[in-house]
Amino acid sequence: MATIAKPTLEVAAPRPAAAFVGSLPRALTIALTAFAVLAPLSLIVYQSLLSAPFFDAAKRVGLDAYAFIFADPDFWSAVRNSLLIAAGMTLIAVPLGAVLAFVMERTDFPGKRWIEPMLLVPSFVSPMVLSFGYIVAAGPVGFFSIWATDLFGGAPWGLYSIAAMAVIAGLTHVPNVYIYASSALKNLGSDVEEAARIAGASPFRVAVSVSLPLIMPALLFSAVLVFFLGLELFGLPLVLGDPEGHLVLSTYLYKLTNKLGTPSYHLMAAVAVCIVAMTVPLVLLQRRLLQNVRKYATIKGKAGRLRELPLGRWKWVAVVLIGAWLFVSVIVPMTGIALRAFVTNWGFGVKLAEAFTLDNFHSVFEEPTHVRAIWNTVLIGTVGGALTVACYTAIGFATHRRNDGWSRVVDYLVLVPRAVPGLLIGLAFLWVFLFFAPLAPLRQTIFSVWLAYTVVWLAYGMRLISSSLMQVSTELEEAARTVGASRGRISREITLPLIRHGLLGSWLLVFMIFEREYSTGVYLLAPGTEVIGAQLVSLWQGGAIDVVAALSLINVVLVFIGLALALRFGVKLRD
Amino acid sequence: MLQRIAVAALLSVAFPAFAQNVPAAYPADYAQTITAARKEGKVVIYSALDTKAAQPLIKDFTALYPDIKVEYNDMNSTEMYNRFIAESASGQAGADVMWSSAMDLQVKLVDEGHAMSYASPEAPKLPQWAVYKNQAYGTTYEPAVFIYNKRLVSGNDVPQDHAAFARVLNGETDKFKGKVTTYDIEKSGVGFMFVVQDTKYFPGMKDLEKGFGAANYKVYSSTGNMLEKVSSGEHVLGYNILGSYALVRAKKDPNLGVVLPKDYTLVLSRVLFIGKNAKNPNAAKLWTDYILSTRGQKLIGSDVELFAIRNDVDAEYTAASLNKQLGNNVKPIPVSSEIVAYLDPKKRLDFLNAWKAALAAK
Repeated sequence: MATIAKPTLEVAAPRPAAAFVGSLPRALTIALTAFAVLAPLSLIVYQSLLSAPFFDAAKRVGLDAYAFIFADPDFWSAVRNSLLIAAGMTLIAVPLGAVLAFVMERTDFPGKRWIEPMLLVPSFVSPMVLSFGYIVAAGPVGFFSIWATDLFGGAPWGLYSIAAMAVIAGLTHVPNVYIYASSALKNLGSDVEEAARIAGASPFRVAVSVSLPLIMPALLFSAVLVFFLGLELFGLPLVLGDPEGHLVLSTYLYKLTNKLGTPSYHLMAAVAVCIVAMTVPLVLLQRRLLQNVRKYATIKGKAGRLRELPLGRWKWVAVVLIGAWLFVSVIVPMTGIALRAFVTNWGFGVKLAEAFTLDNFHSVFEEPTHVRAIWNTVLIGTVGGALTVACYTAIGFATHRRNDGWSRVVDYLVLVPRAVPGLLIGLAFLWVFLFFAPLAPLRQTIFSVWLAYTVVWLAYGMRLISSSLMQVSTELEEAARTVGASRGRISREITLPLIRHGLLGSWLLVFMIFEREYSTGVYLLAPGTEVIGAQLVSLWQGGAIDVVAALSLINVVLVFIGLALALRFGVKLRD
Repeated sequence: MLQRIAVAALLSVAFPAFAQNVPAAYPADYAQTITAARKEGKVVIYSALDTKAAQPLIKDFTALYPDIKVEYNDMNSTEMYNRFIAESASGQAGADVMWSSAMDLQVKLVDEGHAMSYASPEAPKLPQWAVYKNQAYGTTYEPAVFIYNKRLVSGNDVPQDHAAFARVLNGETDKFKGKVTTYDIEKSGVGFMFVVQDTKYFPGMKDLEKGFGAANYKVYSSTGNMLEKVSSGEHVLGYNILGSYALVRAKKDPNLGVVLPKDYTLVLSRVLFIGKNAKNPNAAKLWTDYILSTRGQKLIGSDVELFAIRNDVDAEYTAASLNKQLGNNVKPIPVSSEIVAYLDPKKRLDFLNAWKAALAAK
């Protein structure tokens, strides 16, 4: 059931010619988006229907690939594990992220400025490295486990089960929810909360009954996205699921690369198509739930001043909750990685002081490709990230307040790429750059990596922007329209300034996500365009784990500095 | 000094071909190859050996041919293969030289006509099994080894040959439960290739597989991961690990022990070939000859810490030293069509299923 644009919006029907010129940017934006998303995806769908690589002369059209995977018991166990992990992590990440956002944005929680950057750490460390950090810290012979064994005679946890993976994935995806929820909360006037407070509600009650329901669109988006990410999860199950042989969809797909000796694109593509098919009902559900988004508009002409809610004795609950989460999802894996970066070896019976070394860092800085990778990674996150946000904003405006078929198409388009495992979508992008002549000259430039990243993370940045857009009440735009402003002018002068917090948050998110992206760029790298994430994948494979640890630590520290700077900047804007 | 530089510069302008010495025993027209290569100005290499490890070779090659830039792309062997076939299908050849430890994939590409024929003047110095159709060359001599944690396993529990490995697993199953590791042969092409060879040389393979199953062995696709876990003590024994990586780490890591199996030691050789449509074919020839030359091989056997395949070089890691230690028990995997047999999906799946069945045997 589609809602039709409210007649109040159409004050005067523009003349046909003007309408054409006015809608040209929009049409162009939608067309480019559609091309960027559909080109690689259609190649994947087409490939899934063949019996050999699509560029191979010996290919036949058929459903053999599907027949093969459906007959493979590994596939079904991967589907089951993926669904379990995705559901588990959504159930953990969304409530925690929402509560965290409420505490950080709305209350007088102490030391917020210092804690906020910490909250984001898990989301900018490559999950492969994070899981490796967990193994060093809390694996069967990790130092926390050895302490626990000394104290209690055994470590009461294990890392390699499906449940453990769901918990770790859930805890480390809290920042993804947090960043959506907090940016939505930033745009929310505090008058309603104060009213609830005056009526005697506890801070918890205010959060659950007032603030969080008001940011429901942001929460629903993030829930769906976290679930998508759960289906696509690769690094974590690769490192933690390997030893016990637990497969999820993306590691199953990875296994298909080599199972038949030569890479079986048709099988990999068929798995990807199955994953995409699984996401369709989710998107439909989300759209249903959000049919009437107007009721969430809370930035109105008369803005309420933002006032912090006193937590009172709830402060201690919040301190314990946040402290525990930080400990498990930041301190444990980070100490693991940091420790590994400074030793030659570790584990059972090793005196760490004797194993101390700085060689690992020397080897990073001695190696020009690593140094280049560090620079490129920073560059693609900052400059590339800003460009990406500009693109996302353009797409956001192309669909904002237009409840027509095109908007719905775009809504779905932006979600799909993230459902395809990064390694495969990266390969599909390589195909696009190779076989689509106009793009061929750009293949060996950083542009190819940037484009792939931008498309893959469309869902992320876009949703952040559109949930900010949604909170701008129509009355402000209508006011501008009645005095004769064009659509473009309204966007530039009314809407854009109002969503600047959202754009900034979005840039930050894109920055972090680009810093840690590791699988998508693998096929597009050329000398001079190395990025840390892809470098880590190849080093991990070869065995240079010392360098992996050192390089990851450098990555974390660099990004942490960048993040702290950005947040200082952001804090200024908040006043 | 300045004078000499000036003379050299003059000479190189006047007689570009003579500015570079043609190695002794090379054909006379090699000077032309060098001139053409210098005109090309670069060589693009796709390799499964990471850049850091290959750095000494790149530096030395650049010292030898300062006008030729080495564009070295490291990626895993599957990525290499994927990229290579996609690029050649689209007519945009990216790699001049393909250099990978996935011997079977390399031979397959050669068989499918992706390689350029080039009879390297160094080829006669290689063992015969390492030269394939004058198109592909084995360049290293890397043993498959057992690894163990020195702090946790000692004495008779450290298997010295394949039969002992099986005996340890089947005899002390409880002690080693969950503590033995090897490649996941479904995910790792190298791991698969090794066990196929094992079935050829080791009659007790079924016992070993049963032992793996009973000891609930843990499988990985990354060599680094296995080295890390055996070193840390999470696992204590590792089977068929690529020795070049293991020995490098064992040198720095007091926890890690390495055994060259006494009954037979499999040897893998990184295969190199020049792309048929290479954009810089002459520079690619120079790289190929350099890698196979005494100069390149010496580095491979020392700083690069792989094993030199040539018998006539003196370095820390060489085929000669390995052969001396193990006598006739070194079993190199030949660069030949034989190793491509298991790239047939049906044959491969049958092998995998048989492997799984043997693991579950009681």
